[in-house]
Amino acid sequence: MTGTLKYLMTTAVSTLALSAVAVAQDVAREDTVIFDLDRTIQDPENFNWMTDGTGIRRMHGAHQTMWEPLFILNYGTGELDPWLATGFEANGDSTEFTITLRDGVTWSDGEAFNADDVVFTVEMAKANEELTAREVATLRSQVAGVEKIDDLTVKFTLNAPNPRFVVENFGVRIFGSFLIMPEHIWAAQENPATFTFYPPVGTGPYTFASAASNRAIWDRNDSWWGAATGFQDLPEPQRVVFLESGGEESRAQLMATNQLDAAQNVSVGTFEAIKAQNQAVMTWHDGYPYAAADPCPRQMEINTTVAPWDNPNMRRAVNHIIDRNQIVNIAVEGATTPSRTMFAEYGSMAPFIDAVVEAGHGLSPTADVAAGQALIEAEGWTRNGDYYEKDGETLSAAIHVNSASTEYTRTIDMIVEQLQRAGIDARSVPVENSVFWGEVLPFGSYEMTYSWLSCGSVNEPWTSMGRYTVADVVPVGERSPGFNNTARWDSPAAASYSEIVDQLEGMALGDAAIPGMVAEAYGYMAAEMPFIPLVQSAKLLPMNTTYWTGWPSNENYYNHPFHWWNSGHQIIHNLERAN
Amino acid sequence: MTDENATKPETAEADVKGLTRAQIRRMKRFDNPWQNPKLIWGLSMLLGIIALGVVGRMLWDTDMVFTGSGIPRQGPVGVENLRGQVGTWAHPLGTDVTGKDILALLIVGAPNSLYVGMLASLIGMSIGIFLGFSAGFIRGRLDDVIRVGSDVMITIPPLLILVVFQAAYGDISLTVMAILIACFVWQSPTRLIRAQVLSMRESGYVQMARLSGASTWHIMFREMLPNLVPYLFGSFIANVTTSIVTAVGLEVLGLGPQRVPTLGRVIYDAINSGALIQNLWWWWGIPTLLLAVMFIGLLLVNLGLDEVSNPRLRRL
Repeated sequence: MTGTLKYLMTTAVSTLALSAVAVAQDVAREDTVIFDLDRTIQDPENFNWMTDGTGIRRMHGAHQTMWEPLFILNYGTGELDPWLATGFEANGDSTEFTITLRDGVTWSDGEAFNADDVVFTVEMAKANEELTAREVATLRSQVAGVEKIDDLTVKFTLNAPNPRFVVENFGVRIFGSFLIMPEHIWAAQENPATFTFYPPVGTGPYTFASAASNRAIWDRNDSWWGAATGFQDLPEPQRVVFLESGGEESRAQLMATNQLDAAQNVSVGTFEAIKAQNQAVMTWHDGYPYAAADPCPRQMEINTTVAPWDNPNMRRAVNHIIDRNQIVNIAVEGATTPSRTMFAEYGSMAPFIDAVVEAGHGLSPTADVAAGQALIEAEGWTRNGDYYEKDGETLSAAIHVNSASTEYTRTIDMIVEQLQRAGIDARSVPVENSVFWGEVLPFGSYEMTYSWLSCGSVNEPWTSMGRYTVADVVPVGERSPGFNNTARWDSPAAASYSEIVDQLEGMALGDAAIPGMVAEAYGYMAAEMPFIPLVQSAKLLPMNTTYWTGWPSNENYYNHPFHWWNSGHQIIHNLERAN
Repeated sequence: MTDENATKPETAEADVKGLTRAQIRRMKRFDNPWQNPKLIWGLSMLLGIIALGVVGRMLWDTDMVFTGSGIPRQGPVGVENLRGQVGTWAHPLGTDVTGKDILALLIVGAPNSLYVGMLASLIGMSIGIFLGFSAGFIRGRLDDVIRVGSDVMITIPPLLILVVFQAAYGDISLTVMAILIACFVWQSPTRLIRAQVLSMRESGYVQMARLSGASTWHIMFREMLPNLVPYLFGSFIANVTTSIVTAVGLEVLGLGPQRVPTLGRVIYDAINSGALIQNLWWWWGIPTLLLAVMFIGLLLVNLGLDEVSNPRLRRL
């Protein structure tokens, strides 16, 4: 009798407990926002972003919901929106920066976020060469010393003058920023390069719930410091999900059926088809060309150590053969424009672009195949049937391309055709995303590849140009520091180029001499073409207003729409429940 | 009024009673077992695909298989696409999103898919015949090695290995792909042929050949092989089907040759570019249809060959 009663009671209690758990895990679709992830989460239980070159340990929600940046560069205003920091001051020659942190910030486990965390993380980055993420490598090369002034003030001393120091390292200029890690957890680790930081802790309004190879789930932390201190209201979504959609077709279907709230890039035709099925889907521009300008123009990177492409004339020949208009029209369906220089075509970049174009180093939107072939023939190649030959060898080019997006593969398919028609036996070698970023690019194991590694400059020329200096040249097989100069461009011209670019590095923004110097340095680069700028990049990102409104757009320009960036915090904070 | 003839079976000749004219016609055909309707239908389907490749190349510009050959997203003749453009005779079966001509893709792609299957199966069968005969006829240690080897190989899923291999090496040619597939289609023929040879080696004519001092090679390939021909054909066709399925499987995953059109590759591109949601049915539908024709053709040939080699299966 008592046994039966006990059994019944236990059952009842456990049933109640189970249903309570079920309720805790159940968040209504209306309260959940689902973002699209364009790649697989290789290692879902590893949150050590500092050893990850591919960005996947951050872009699955970690740096959009859990880890917050110090500042966020606002593409609309050009200003730094303060986040974990409130402001900074620089000395006269831009070698010392004092950053003020926000008061009242806490980690999700209750510990206070303060100057100790900043100093600790920076010193850890400086002391460990094995921390290879681009942001860590950049910071390590710039910072000579860091010191705590008081709990909310940190002073950085730099190796060389750098007026861009804050925006470059802490401002989410492109994709990520140097993220501050909690000292009270990381300090206990013997080797920060092997630490997996699982479960992760951050300062953001969401905490980690679970992750698998195709999704990561983040739940709102209602005791977030930001709401308590009045910095920002709690964001409306109770749960944020990052879901690997697996390609354009399924991405489009998920979007059309409201199972996705914000998608990664799709082609114009696919967007029109989604729109035809689901009127609630919008994007940056209401009409053609729909897409938002991305600050990373596309380029063809050439390994300058591999014959015959170690010869600048051969690389210039390829540049002549490429028809940028055709890439725009066929591969990108008219949603972008041909590049004239290596720079992104923002208004703020116009003085430098104009200077380069006026100096005669601008790129043609159309091909001049005859000029390209003349260059090839001048190097001793003769056309035999379909292809050029020299000493019994066929002129060939293998182009490695990341297979993660049709934009990449289609552009390279187009270039392969252009080269083939001109007599070069080009072929595309699609490789998986992690292989591409983890092995092909940094170690120089390619002949040519499709990338955007000159990316970086948004309002000044140095960041992009500084990525191709001889200081970053390493032999093939060694990792290029921060993906800089993966072309391994190292020649007298490269040295002259680097000399001018090194001078640019310390000059104040807006110095009248800069455009002239840019044009001069660019002359050396245009003569040798370590990479070939192709087209501007545009991202057509469908966003769904069925459950959430407040998405960024050209009319609602609080910032750009790149939701996989560290600036994704702003998007999530701006979302409003539709009903 | 009753017609007397209506109740009687239609007889063509006085000595054949109780059979319709059609049945008699079929019976006569069995004088020559190769005039099997399934075989004929199957072969004509396969020949049709080969003819598409041969005749198509003469009549149509196959350079249009490359990116940027025409206006993207055109429908077949008379079909309107989502943008309201109507397909024209410039591209009778339409184009894909990068302007590749679908007809040209089929003309080049369909024979390519068949070629991979045939070549892989040919290589696999040759290996299988050689190993199967050696194991079954010579026996001993060699038999053990071959038997265990093929048993082990049969447990390995080929697609898994091929996916890993191709993902690692990227772009490969059709022939290399066929050779790779061949590495995984020799086990079954080896086992089956070994079993046949084991039973055959004790038969009278083999014993006689042995007594007359014929060499092992001669007995294996001159005396025994001809008796296995119809059976080998059947096995060959089954292997072609397996090989094509494997090849198409790889292509639909985006592996295999990049610039050489194959039916699987066309379907991969279509899936990858959102052809379903854009309603570009001609892009994925027509290649799928052609693949279906190819498989039905192979199946009919296989069934036909079965009937040729086994008279009991023939029905009137």
